[in-house]
Amino acid sequence: MATVEVRDLRKRYQDFLALDGVSLKAESGQLVTLLGPSGCGKSTTLRCLAGFLEANGGEITVDGESILGTPANRRGFGVVFQNYALFPHMTVAENIGYGLKLQKLPKAEIETRVHDVMKLVRLDGLRDRLPRAISGGQQQRVALARALVLKPKLLLLDEPLANLDARLRDEVRWLIRDLQQQSGITAFYVTHDQSEAMAMSDMVAVMKAGRVAQFATPREIYQKPVERYVADFTGEANFIPCQSVISMGDGRYEIKAAGAKLELSGVPGIAGPAELLLRPEALELTSPSAGTFAGKVTKSAFLGAALHCEITLQDGSVLKLTAPPNHQVAPGEEVGIAIDHSHAWLMPEVAP
Amino acid sequence: MSLRNPKLLLAIPAVALIFVFMILPITNMIEMSFRTPGHSEPFGDDYTTMHYDRILSDGYYWGVLGRSLLTAGAVTLLCLIVSYPIAWHMSKAKGLKAVFLYACIASPLMTGVLVRNFGWMIAAALNGPLNETLLALGMIERPLRLLFTQGLVILALVHVFVPFMVLPINNALRNISPTLIEASSSMGATRREVFRDIILPLSFPGIYPGMILVYVLAVAAYVTPALLGGQMVSYMPTLIIGELTGTFQWPFGSALAIVLSVSTILVVGLFTALTSRLMERSKA
Repeated sequence: MATVEVRDLRKRYQDFLALDGVSLKAESGQLVTLLGPSGCGKSTTLRCLAGFLEANGGEITVDGESILGTPANRRGFGVVFQNYALFPHMTVAENIGYGLKLQKLPKAEIETRVHDVMKLVRLDGLRDRLPRAISGGQQQRVALARALVLKPKLLLLDEPLANLDARLRDEVRWLIRDLQQQSGITAFYVTHDQSEAMAMSDMVAVMKAGRVAQFATPREIYQKPVERYVADFTGEANFIPCQSVISMGDGRYEIKAAGAKLELSGVPGIAGPAELLLRPEALELTSPSAGTFAGKVTKSAFLGAALHCEITLQDGSVLKLTAPPNHQVAPGEEVGIAIDHSHAWLMPEVAP
Repeated sequence: MSLRNPKLLLAIPAVALIFVFMILPITNMIEMSFRTPGHSEPFGDDYTTMHYDRILSDGYYWGVLGRSLLTAGAVTLLCLIVSYPIAWHMSKAKGLKAVFLYACIASPLMTGVLVRNFGWMIAAALNGPLNETLLALGMIERPLRLLFTQGLVILALVHVFVPFMVLPINNALRNISPTLIEASSSMGATRREVFRDIILPLSFPGIYPGMILVYVLAVAAYVTPALLGGQMVSYMPTLIIGELTGTFQWPFGSALAIVLSVSTILVVGLFTALTSRLMERSKA
């Protein structure tokens, strides 16, 4: 539907730099997630896209044409807000049909389109209710329907699941993804929840202090982060500082860490101090002599589907790992840890 | 009703106050309005409906009642038009600016009613500052007769009642979430459409009490019409006071007051009924 490009976007509030050169690209039909903690600039970026905020510098183009001069009401983007922002004095059907009514479409057409989209998001039977008389999940679906019914070029979602309970969140998450893919609408999705970002996106932009720390596929973000900040934000992670790093070219390295020698892939061109990233699921418990590392179990917790353990290595660093639930480990036990080398990753402490 | 219930005990002062200062006097006034006229005293011993018959059958009283209700209506509408932009501005203000604006808005209420109206008499006099200014600007050739006109009465009432309109509307506007405005503009609404479809209906919970307050106050206003309206035109309150303290016709004066009260209640009731759907929907 539309290719959207953000180039070097800047936004300043008095002496606070909210956006410090954000660059992103959403190919037609892609869902791009802006992921990061509060204050990282993800919502500011979205609000610049929507036209609610004026950027101080940079460029936003849709299909190659700048939209910075176009006011919000003529951009033709659908926006879904965290608090839903339903019009409290309008019924569900009036909320959804409001944009169509503004376009002065014939009543019958508004009627059919509202009816169709309500069926799509499973709101049938609620058309004459006021927003305050329906549940949070239903309100969220009204907000979604209200944006989709206008067939927007671009869909902007600002933490749309933040106010829902866990069960509903899952349901609405899949609904959003399904609808977005079916309709082929390009979408930007803001969240601070990494699992949401992973599950839904074609591309993820991890943001840090007004900049994009890494812009890549969910798989790359998780398995090949460019720095510790990204790895930390995208899931459970173990970091082990390296004593020595020898580059073998092509992003391959030979390192020494926690008393072991390893050969593995990493971010190309590491020069300074480096850290070894080990996700809990890349580690396996073995006998003390067989593993790459050796250590002592300090904690173990049975979580039903898995066993979470913490192991203190000889050099004092602590590794978290996920073991099969029936594995027997007791705190104090000496164990070895085997590494799945394809899941080990070397990265600089801070991206250059 | 058990007096051991502390909630009911708490209601006693309010109930007592309303009983003594509202229920008793109104009952007394209704009773008075059915009394026969007295000869050497304010009222007679017997009961009659002659006062109501006289009011309802005489076009003069219908005219005065109509003038009072319409003038109050005009004051209310002008107040709304003047107050809405002020309330909008105030709802955006924060900190010291907000305090300053509140003080400005409340300023007409800080002057005594007589002082304020005498002020208007001076301001609107033939050689007063209003005329002087208009003359100096070349907008008029000779001084206008402003004093003792219906227009001046309306102007003076609008001036003093603006705070009663601004404050509730300001409150209602503050309760409108800014994301609603963003949402509607993202759906294609122009600024005018946002105002018409979102802001105006959602501020109705402030407009409604503002209009009711101003209307009721304007209908009952006595000093301003008495001082600024002159002898040529009468309003219900000036007429009532005339009967009560001028000619000492207490029963007739009471009947006039009851007619005015009932008419006001009818107008307020009609307005409430006409806007009940909007109110039901827009209240928070």
